[in-house]
Amino acid sequence: SSNSAKPADYVYFDRTTAGFSEEAVPKAKGAQLKLEHFYKVAVESAIERNQRRVDLERRLQQDMTMSDERKQRQLLQLGKKESTFLRLRRTRLGLDDFKTVKVIGKGAFGEVRLVQKTDTGKIYAMKTLKKEEMLKKDQLAHVRAERDVLAESNSPWVVQLFYSFQDSAYLYLIMEFLPGGDLMTMLIKYDTFSEDVTRFYIAECVLAIEAVHKLGFIHRDIKPDNILIDKDGHIKLSDFGLSTGFHREHDSNYYQRLLDQANGVTSPTNPQQAARNSVMVNAIHLTISSKDQIATWKANRRKLAYSTVGTPDYIAPEIFLLQGYGNECDWWSLGAIMFECLVGYPPFCSETPHETYKKIVNWRYNLMFPDDVHLSREAEDLIRRLITSQDQRLTVDQIKQHPFFYGVDWASIRNIDAPFVPHLRSITDTSYFPTDELEQVPDEPVGADTSGANKDLAFLGYTFKRFTVSSHAF
Amino acid sequence: PSPVMTNTKPLYLCSPFAEAALVKGNFKTIVMLPKYVDVMEWVAVNIFDFYNNLNLFYGIVAECCTAQACPAMSAGPSLDYTWIDQNRRQVKLPAPTYIDYVMTWVQNMLDDEGVFPTKAGREFSQSFPATAKHIYRQLLRVFAHIYHAHYPQILHLRSEPHFNSLFAHFLAFGKEFDLLEVKDVKGNLQHGAVGVGDLWEKWKDMGILES
Ligand SMILES: Nc1ncnc2c1ncn2[C@@H]1O[C@H](COP(=O)(O)OP(=O)(O)OP(=O)(O)O)[C@@H](O)[C@H]1O
Repeated sequence: SSNSAKPADYVYFDRTTAGFSEEAVPKAKGAQLKLEHFYKVAVESAIERNQRRVDLERRLQQDMTMSDERKQRQLLQLGKKESTFLRLRRTRLGLDDFKTVKVIGKGAFGEVRLVQKTDTGKIYAMKTLKKEEMLKKDQLAHVRAERDVLAESNSPWVVQLFYSFQDSAYLYLIMEFLPGGDLMTMLIKYDTFSEDVTRFYIAECVLAIEAVHKLGFIHRDIKPDNILIDKDGHIKLSDFGLSTGFHREHDSNYYQRLLDQANGVTSPTNPQQAARNSVMVNAIHLTISSKDQIATWKANRRKLAYSTVGTPDYIAPEIFLLQGYGNECDWWSLGAIMFECLVGYPPFCSETPHETYKKIVNWRYNLMFPDDVHLSREAEDLIRRLITSQDQRLTVDQIKQHPFFYGVDWASIRNIDAPFVPHLRSITDTSYFPTDELEQVPDEPVGADTSGANKDLAFLGYTFKRFTVSSHAF
Repeated sequence: PSPVMTNTKPLYLCSPFAEAALVKGNFKTIVMLPKYVDVMEWVAVNIFDFYNNLNLFYGIVAECCTAQACPAMSAGPSLDYTWIDQNRRQVKLPAPTYIDYVMTWVQNMLDDEGVFPTKAGREFSQSFPATAKHIYRQLLRVFAHIYHAHYPQILHLRSEPHFNSLFAHFLAFGKEFDLLEVKDVKGNLQHGAVGVGDLWEKWKDMGILES
């Protein structure tokens, strides 16, 4: 811009931060970012609100059978719903709005508790995520994006998220409580399932994973711990992407480092070393699934679930390698889970994560069906078409057509009777959770307040309240 | 931070700062009452947001707004606001004290279920519109003081596009729902002109706000 174009009252101002305190600049930056976010959301909400109204108005206009009076009532109803949502934005929720009934689970970044909202008496599952841990593990970028996707979903296959809030130490997620526990606990209890029972769970998982993919989302870390059981015995996928599925440790560098350590390479990996130490030149473990190894694996299963490293047992090889992947990686995981349901342990289980990793990468040599377990031809075939290279793996439509699922009514499976229906004595019954193993976990999250301005910023826009004004949420 | 210039045109009225904006376009899209939505709910949530956002930005200049630097709650060359105390007496207060009173008072209202209900089934009281206006008037004073006394600091911290948009939004919303009195925005001969009154006029001339 030229000088002549400048208005008469144009002034030059020498900006300097001299004379301000050390916090002033980051604080200002923080305020700016928050306001930018605020207006972004304000505009988006205005658009969405408008869309909801236009949609309803159009639907009502096309309806020739409904009386005008009822149409009017429906529009007012929408207005009420929108107003309630606005009110919810002013409602502060904090830890003190919920009372812990029991600790029911433990994850990588915190615990899961059964809680009761004090004013309404409603029951929820509250997951805590320790911010500091997540910052360390570089999880924040993921948390935001994925949460946004799932928050929007109304799918019956995904655990619903109702509220979230945070304090300086934790993020809190208030979700629907699924009283039936998870598939991992069930597998620990039953060891294996019959083919009929397996068919039911795997078929439901197919629909759940498909639903997630339709939301434009890849899970990458589906495992029995993330498959939860509702009060009727049907499954839902846990609020993955909030912490699961994106462990830094699951990336190839991490496993490369693990391997290098195991091989005595102590310096950080450089590309040449990586090539020299590539898994292909390592001895292939032929001694898979000896009884001892399985026993150790089983004994450690829950401990693995509690560690931030997690278990790589169900992760597709392409995730580890640097070759890119699409949502077909989730079908591999399903194959591994199906194997475990029928055989009693996952196909590549080993005593240490890095051995598991090596076996997965060399799956061609390591996928074996034990002689002492009988599998139908269809079951084995389906597993082999899931635990296979990316380009050979079945697509969702092919999976549904597979003979193993013969007789499954895909449209109504969620409405049929589940093989195990939890027997619940009350709405706060936690008998399907390993609560005795969690007795040391305190009722309230231990809050160490160490947050600085930067940490808070990383959680910008996190506080979320579900739009859906379902009767359960309030 | 440089001292406030008194004898020249205030920086917030000068180019390029007067036109600096984070939000461009017509504020109507985010100000207008959404169809079928309860107007009380809409005003309540907006006041809630203005309060929080203003608090955020006062927070960045608060270290410069001390009893020494700002012994009075000034909003123009010859305008100092007075606070009405419990005995209904007008008292002069240093700006940080005044603002602290305002912000605490508003926060307490926002937290008061009787004034800003949040529980399901609770209605707004009949006096809510009057209360909303009262709150709006006090928040306006905080904006006015920051513009008058702390704009250079806002500039040093490169926050003028943000702060301008927040204030323009505040004015647009206040106008739409009759929460603002013209005399409060512009001041009067008796007590002195409000600095931001000129900014309001300028933004109307520039088309940033509707006249
Ligand atoms: N909504 C819920 N209802 C009932 N139980 C739940 C719910 N969410 C989680 N749990 C229980 O808590 C356990 C741990 O939860 P989850 O797997 O979501 O934690 P996590 O932090 O994501 O762990 P990881 O990241 O290692 O998967 C689950 O295996 C399950 O038993």
